[in-house]
Amino acid sequence: MDNSIAAGQPVNKPSKKPKKARNFHQLPPFWNAVVNLAVGLFSFACVYPFLFVVIISLTDEKALALNGYSLFPKKWSFEAYSYIFRTGDQLLRSYGVTIFITLVGTLLTVAIVSLYAYAISRSYFKFRGIFSFIAFFTMLFGGGLVPSYIVVSQVLHLKDTIWALILPMSVSAFSILIMRTFFKTMVPDAIIESGKIDGAGEFRVFISLVLPISLPGLATIGLFAALGYWNDWFNALLYIDDAKLVPLQSLLMKIETNIQFILQNSAIGSGTDRSAIARSLPAETTRMAMVVLATLPIIFAYPFFQRYFVQGLTIGSVKE
Amino acid sequence: MKKRKGIQMALSLLLLCSMILSGCGGKDNGSSGQTSSGADSGSQAQNTEKEKPVKLIWYTISGPQKDQDKVMAEVNKYTREKINAEIDLRLIDWGDYSQKMQVIAASGEPFDIAFTSSWAFNYVESARKGYFYELDDLLDKYGQGIKKALNPAFLEGSKVNGHNYAIPTNKELPAQAVWRFNKTLADKYNLDVSKATTLESLEPMLKTVKENEPDVYPIPSNISPYLPFDFALEGIPVGVPIDTKDFKVINVWDTPETKQVFDTMHKYYQAGYLPPDVATKQGNEHEKTGKWLLDKQHTVPFADIQWSDSLGYKVVSTPIHKPIVFNWSVTGSMQAISAKTKHPEKAMEFLNLLNTDEHLRNLINYGLEGVHYKKLSEDTFEPIPDSGYSMPSFTLGNMFLLYKLKDDPKDKWEQYQKFNESATNAPLLGFQFDPTNVMTEIANVKNAVDEYGPALNTGSVDPAKVLPQAIEKLKAQGIDKIIAECQKQLDEWKAQNNK
Repeated sequence: MDNSIAAGQPVNKPSKKPKKARNFHQLPPFWNAVVNLAVGLFSFACVYPFLFVVIISLTDEKALALNGYSLFPKKWSFEAYSYIFRTGDQLLRSYGVTIFITLVGTLLTVAIVSLYAYAISRSYFKFRGIFSFIAFFTMLFGGGLVPSYIVVSQVLHLKDTIWALILPMSVSAFSILIMRTFFKTMVPDAIIESGKIDGAGEFRVFISLVLPISLPGLATIGLFAALGYWNDWFNALLYIDDAKLVPLQSLLMKIETNIQFILQNSAIGSGTDRSAIARSLPAETTRMAMVVLATLPIIFAYPFFQRYFVQGLTIGSVKE
Repeated sequence: MKKRKGIQMALSLLLLCSMILSGCGGKDNGSSGQTSSGADSGSQAQNTEKEKPVKLIWYTISGPQKDQDKVMAEVNKYTREKINAEIDLRLIDWGDYSQKMQVIAASGEPFDIAFTSSWAFNYVESARKGYFYELDDLLDKYGQGIKKALNPAFLEGSKVNGHNYAIPTNKELPAQAVWRFNKTLADKYNLDVSKATTLESLEPMLKTVKENEPDVYPIPSNISPYLPFDFALEGIPVGVPIDTKDFKVINVWDTPETKQVFDTMHKYYQAGYLPPDVATKQGNEHEKTGKWLLDKQHTVPFADIQWSDSLGYKVVSTPIHKPIVFNWSVTGSMQAISAKTKHPEKAMEFLNLLNTDEHLRNLINYGLEGVHYKKLSEDTFEPIPDSGYSMPSFTLGNMFLLYKLKDDPKDKWEQYQKFNESATNAPLLGFQFDPTNVMTEIANVKNAVDEYGPALNTGSVDPAKVLPQAIEKLKAQGIDKIIAECQKQLDEWKAQNNK
């Protein structure tokens, strides 16, 4: 991002009087080049691992085994991708599950968090202290794995349903506190009073007046939630036995842990059983292809939120 | 079902309010549901609902199977008829199994039967924690078929505090380490693999291959060379020599035998017989490329044939030691009954049927005839590739009932039987070390072993320098306390069992 800003500025042509023409918004050409280079290298370091994964996924399996990983493989191949799409009804199904829980979960999270946060941000709400405390308390003390498992599986009976992937993550105390502060500082009381004077109820005020000016805040927690849902694999590990409901990241995680497990447990049955299991696992290139397919969509989601991030930062610094 | 889920959703808010109360309540019920009360309610349920089939929840380890529902429908038809029970089979993937079952068992979630073993959802640990039903009486009453099918060493070696908590799978009983050779390379250089008995005897072969094939690392990965000890606990070097007479527990790393193994490995490493990054290397690319000479594996009868089959080229092997029955080889694959089950008798009846009934055993393993496999003769079959059902055979039950592949030797299971009978018992067979008193020390020592183990095992470091350091570190982390505790328990066990 810095890169684009720094690079986007057209460098002034050196005029006849260079001393006077110096623009203090600009770096001298030398430092400009240095900064560009540094940021460029950093961005490349960020992109490089993923680029590598893409290349491995496009490498021929045999070439990979013979020569190891290489940025310029001896032989290219689309076999990994065609293999996935030939046999990959599990992958497509997992895609569906992930997209569903990300959409529904994000909407649900934004709805619950903003409602909760709005309520406890209003100074005239009598029980705001208690409700703030209830949310805050969970950040300090958690029950741990087994109690939350008992709640989800035996109290709510969500096991092996799609809701086990959505509900446990739908409220985050951290997001509530962020939103509360956002509502407190960004939404002037005057706006709410003006709505009340015109005869609007709490809901009307919230939906028609507060939400539209809170879009940056909503987008922020929306992005957090969406990333959380997209990347979640642990809930699926705990609550999902049914292969039809396994989300994408959990599927990848399963493959990775299975490989790890088989490599580390040489004592499984006998060596013959082990190689039989190992053969059922996808090949290296296929795994990389799955990583690519699992990551791409969420990469494309970033630009849509980016706008609000920048906007949110600006609003936050200018207004106060 | 869908409608119910919807209602559950709508009520979830309401339920959230009640979750604290009921959460606590559930926990209390769970911890008080001991084995005796479970048995009572079980027999009651049997008396009142004799007509209705009992539903058994069975967790086992395996990748997901596409046609599981179809096969289980058939299984249930059969079990309803035979023992008036229905099976709700739930498969959990290899890598997830331990963690998931820990949570399920700890939370008191109901299940009836679960897979357990020395390497996934640890059997001894879970039995000690009280997750499993004590099976001694049930075995006598409903498990006669199992008792008949199993080599007695199975049930003897899998006892925890003198009781059986799970039914071992009838398969190969002992463990026997072998040097496994890539036959293509061995033949090319006329290596006599039968001479490979000790680690030291490998040297000339390694040398020949390395000299003629400079880009091949003859030992391709961390083979964890064989040490002639019986370990009391997995992952820490505490145990007794395999031929012990006095049952004196020792620090295995602090012995001349171990020193020699590490020295030899170091020599090999320096000579370039192992890849430079072998200590941290993972994966088995060498199996695909064929650029390797030998590694260490555990064998079963006809393992060479199966290995050659799955690798696509010939391999041969030479045993390193005689078959020995270890605790971990006995507990390699078992089925336990939950301590909180309401139907312990039915669960046992089912396990008995699974281990004695050829039709059921093959149905669960291979699926439906004609859909998932083709039957060739009385006891041979041919799988239909990619048909959507094929379970790992060694995790489920008596393997000797399974149909054989076309290429399998006719006397496959007889050979297994022979292999089992040829074995000698390891000194600690049946002794289960209770680590409760030395938990911290064990964790610390394990860390130290993880730190030094791979480097020493692969010879990547000089044992003359590093081994004393490692031993020092083990001592600092409290290995002597573990040894003392182990010795105490072992002495008690010895007195009880007249060893």
